[in-house]
Amino acid sequence: MQRDRQLGLFYALPLGGFLALAFLAPILLVAAFSTMPPKVFSLAHLPDFSAYYTVLTQGYWKSVVWSLGMALAATAILFVICWPLAYGMAKVLGRFSLVLTICVVMTLFVSENIRLFGWVLTLMKGGLIEGYLRHWTGAGFDGLLYNVPVIVFGLVYVYLPFMLFPLAQGIAMVPDDTRQAAFDLGATRWQVLREVELPLAMPGILVGSLLTFVLSAGAIAESKLLGGQAVIVIADEVETAFTYGQNWPLGAALAMVLIAIVGGIAIWGIGRADLDSMMARK
Amino acid sequence: MRTSRFTATVLMLYGLLVIAFLYLPLFSVGLASISKARYLSFPIRRYAYGWYGEALASDTVQTLLVLSLKVAGIVTVLSMIIGFFGALAFARYSWRFRKAYQKLILLPIFFPQTVLGLALLMWFNTLGIVPSWKTAVVAHLVWIAPIATLVISIRAYSFDPALEEAARDMGASTWDTLREVTIPLLMPGVVSAGLFAFLLSWGNFPLSLFTTGADSTLPEWLYAKMVSGYSPLVPTVGILTVGSSVVLVALGLLVPWGLRRMRALAGRVPSEQAAQQIPQET
Amino acid sequence: MGDQPILRINGLTKRFNDFTALHSIDLNVSEGEFLTIVGPSGSGKTTLIRLLVGIDEPSDGSIWLRDRRIDEVPANKRPTCMVFQSLALFPHRTVGQNIEFPLKLRKVPPADRRARALELLDLLRLPRDYYGKRIDQCSGGERQRVALARALAFDPEILFFDEPLSALDYRLRKTLEKELKDLHRRTGKTFIYITHSLEEAMVMSDRIAIMRAGRFEQIAPAEQIYAKPVSRFVAGFMGEVNLFDMTAGQVPGVTLSPHAQSRFAGQSGTLMIRPESLSILPPSGTADICFTAVIEAEYLLGSRMQYTLRRAGGGTVTVEVLREDAAQGGVGAEITLGCPADACHLIAEVPDAA
Repeated sequence: MQRDRQLGLFYALPLGGFLALAFLAPILLVAAFSTMPPKVFSLAHLPDFSAYYTVLTQGYWKSVVWSLGMALAATAILFVICWPLAYGMAKVLGRFSLVLTICVVMTLFVSENIRLFGWVLTLMKGGLIEGYLRHWTGAGFDGLLYNVPVIVFGLVYVYLPFMLFPLAQGIAMVPDDTRQAAFDLGATRWQVLREVELPLAMPGILVGSLLTFVLSAGAIAESKLLGGQAVIVIADEVETAFTYGQNWPLGAALAMVLIAIVGGIAIWGIGRADLDSMMARK
Repeated sequence: MRTSRFTATVLMLYGLLVIAFLYLPLFSVGLASISKARYLSFPIRRYAYGWYGEALASDTVQTLLVLSLKVAGIVTVLSMIIGFFGALAFARYSWRFRKAYQKLILLPIFFPQTVLGLALLMWFNTLGIVPSWKTAVVAHLVWIAPIATLVISIRAYSFDPALEEAARDMGASTWDTLREVTIPLLMPGVVSAGLFAFLLSWGNFPLSLFTTGADSTLPEWLYAKMVSGYSPLVPTVGILTVGSSVVLVALGLLVPWGLRRMRALAGRVPSEQAAQQIPQET
Repeated sequence: MGDQPILRINGLTKRFNDFTALHSIDLNVSEGEFLTIVGPSGSGKTTLIRLLVGIDEPSDGSIWLRDRRIDEVPANKRPTCMVFQSLALFPHRTVGQNIEFPLKLRKVPPADRRARALELLDLLRLPRDYYGKRIDQCSGGERQRVALARALAFDPEILFFDEPLSALDYRLRKTLEKELKDLHRRTGKTFIYITHSLEEAMVMSDRIAIMRAGRFEQIAPAEQIYAKPVSRFVAGFMGEVNLFDMTAGQVPGVTLSPHAQSRFAGQSGTLMIRPESLSILPPSGTADICFTAVIEAEYLLGSRMQYTLRRAGGGTVTVEVLREDAAQGGVGAEITLGCPADACHLIAEVPDAA
């Protein structure tokens, strides 16, 4: 046991040290910069927290609300879309679910840019759908891009695997016997779902929803490539402040808002999940 | 509870539909890459493969390719090493700060990548490091090394601690145990972690965007061309990067399968004898 | 017990692709009976019980509950209920909520549900304050009782058990076997129990059905299964057994008395002698059936001694005697063994046919 403790700590050092230097330290730096007066590029100034005042008064909250709202919508839609498929993968489809897994994982390895660019080609005026529709029926339309629903659509598309796999994992944790016992005791399918499957798959539901929500809330490419300028998301504001705005403190303050929301939710969720039991079931 | 054949068929069709949804944009990109027209519009009137020749001959594309390969290659090797030890600390040994460590590792995966890229840019700037492809390696590792750790952890969880104890009991030192027992048993996990690391680095855009400095990776170049007006090389290069990922995944799946087949063929004679010695159970 | 069987099974068959798990099974179960189905793993007993409960569908044949054909009825509409091998208690609910589950589904008012759950806790000798406990706070034996209480709350016509005791340690299993038998007597319900342990079946059941490769090998009361098995398979299923090949009334290397000779005259088959039926004879003693053998090993089983011996005619024999009757000499000694003809049983099965 003593040896286990020493080895554990020793083996944790490379990754732990690296993350301390290249993850925690930069975040602390962002936190420090967020307190600086406007448009400075070093920390050698007195903190005045004016950037947070700007965030509050200049209407940036709209971006926060849009980001969170769209993330919530995407999470809800993904839950509904993924539940039946995750159920099939965990309980019904057997070997076919391996094929599904490989196909879905494959898309993760394709740059998000290329996939979203593909949707632009598919949905734009003169794109795959509108172009062929006009070709065959003579009736075209204006293209489906550059609005809020298409951004949510993009989020649903990009983050589908992050809902699907945790859900499937969660459903796989529901013992068949328990479902059958409920059924045998007189429960209908709907009652089995509500009374047994949903509560027992809750760790997977929680992880999947958290992942999709948190990733969607910090997403930027969907709104830029598919949404045009329909709405500006919070991550976009952060980038603009850093690059075109050349206002690091403002960018840092906006980033801190996003980090607080996303990090808060993530830490809360990760804190509740029992990682050992979730991963060991695989 | 019975799952009828009908339900299974419906779920399977639904799975195929989801896969079609995931691959539709790539199909559009593929069609676009073989359109002869300089300005893309569907329906495609004339097909040509000339853009592929042009892309492969282009000096720019070759430079991008070499740089992307270099980054992905180094990230892969480092992720495998860091992830191996990280996973042992994550899953195998019980030590004092393990729960906190597990949570620290999950945070970068949840973190918005754009914000992470910007935070690292500020950090490098503060440390006086000029961003180049080397800083991009660090940025990729912040996100990818934790993922590699999780992939190897899944394997490490199924690892029976008694195996290591048995080796030590027979007089093996810590190093002997690592070399003779732990590394061979975790190897499949390490290899798949390497595959994940390479592909994720190869396709990453948000982290590269802010941390490569004057250098540029393939996804960055594609993004720049996408937002600054259409180039017929975009779909072509896009398909080339996707194609190379597919080839790599296929190799990653086929090579272990082939090795197992070869071992099974080589070991056939003794294994058949063994099977005959086991009496058939009724 | 009623005149009409509560459960009737006709020609029940289950095929999985090209493998047949059940070959046209027939069975009648009387009202209030405790029937145990015993078989080794892979014999089809789990498949059978899953068909009876309604979790799987038969390929062929019919199942009747009194006058009602139920094989087409899904499990949640059947008035029967099963205690699972894993118990399948709901881990996210308390003991009380588990027991009340079937009542809640029937929309029984909360106060009545609670009253019934407490009654069942009493019936199963669980303290009433277990009502609010979480499942993971209960021990293995307590969980067993909660699972039983939940099944009884359903108030099934027939209660099925799928090896619910197999995961428990030996002593707890022995206690619960007796409790289960007692519960059967007190509730008067029909119990159908499956297990791979014939010992377990003997303790509890009115009748035992031995299953082998998807068919019933023998269905009979416990004493008959033990004393008069129909095949070598059934004979060998419980504990140690000595089997001798008999051809035309003779067993090589064994001396038969005139009484035994007339009893087995001209018959062929397998002669079964249980280890406790054999006794160690004094040097000049005789019995209906007697033979000599050399002690190879001896084991102390508490109040009894068990010996493994090599018979002069070849083959090993197992003998169990009280400790005060222990053999003189120990390992290596040659002794004479004997038993009365009535304590043997001739299985009609031709030697080595199985």
